[in-house]
Amino acid sequence: MSLEEVAFLLLAVVAVLTAVAALLVRELVHTIMWIAVFFVDLALIYFLLDAPFLGVLQLGVYAGAVTVLLLFGVMVTRKRIFSRGAATGIGPVPIALAVLTFVFLVAAVGELPQAAVAPQSYTPSALSATLFGSYGPWVLLLGIIMLVGVSGSIYLVREGRE
Amino acid sequence: MTGLNEVGFLGLSGGLVAVGLFGVLTRRNFVLVLIAIEVAMNAAVLNFVYFAAFAPTPSAGLAGQSAAVVLVGFAATEVAVGLAIVLALNRAKGTINVAEATELKL
Repeated sequence: MSLEEVAFLLLAVVAVLTAVAALLVRELVHTIMWIAVFFVDLALIYFLLDAPFLGVLQLGVYAGAVTVLLLFGVMVTRKRIFSRGAATGIGPVPIALAVLTFVFLVAAVGELPQAAVAPQSYTPSALSATLFGSYGPWVLLLGIIMLVGVSGSIYLVREGRE
Repeated sequence: MTGLNEVGFLGLSGGLVAVGLFGVLTRRNFVLVLIAIEVAMNAAVLNFVYFAAFAPTPSAGLAGQSAAVVLVGFAATEVAVGLAIVLALNRAKGTINVAEATELKL
């Protein structure tokens, strides 16, 4: 077992455990701390896969911006932020559905072609040349969707709207 | 970097999708539902990054990483809109329990 395999196994276990912990702990603020650990853990997996730009993006966008946004949302919407309310019991049907989904997704592994090649790493400059070159329209679409999303968000939360 | 096989990665991303689905189905707090969706979307991004790293040609790998970058942007936008809905729901109903959001009008 190589060092990378051990590192990946550790990171994978931590990822699943933190995701489950985030959804099951009682305090909402603790949930957000767990999900921050989850995002950082995924960033480490991206670094392990030789994708440094994606790793930095994950750290900046998810561990940075999304975590702070979620914290902000919790602080604004709850009078006592250390309380959950609305927690429900865990029935058998959601667990069965989740397990079924997992089995269905992992069952596809036999259909994959065998990738025997070593993982390749791409420099951020090569990635940006592709992203803004042949995939420029997608970046443009992303910008338009972000603009519409921000406008819609401002419309939803502005003062005096009834 | 040899030895990272596709079974482990598919297991991880499939497990994360399952956890996200479980969260969406069981949690009633709107912020928790948003977090569960984020977990599932991160599993999709992880698949893009993994299959980009093991792509047969460099152009295919770069295309996969480009898709991952665009997907991260979409996910961030989704969180922003979702939190705006949370704030509007909190103002209209005084709660962020999704079970009480029974009408589309906010």
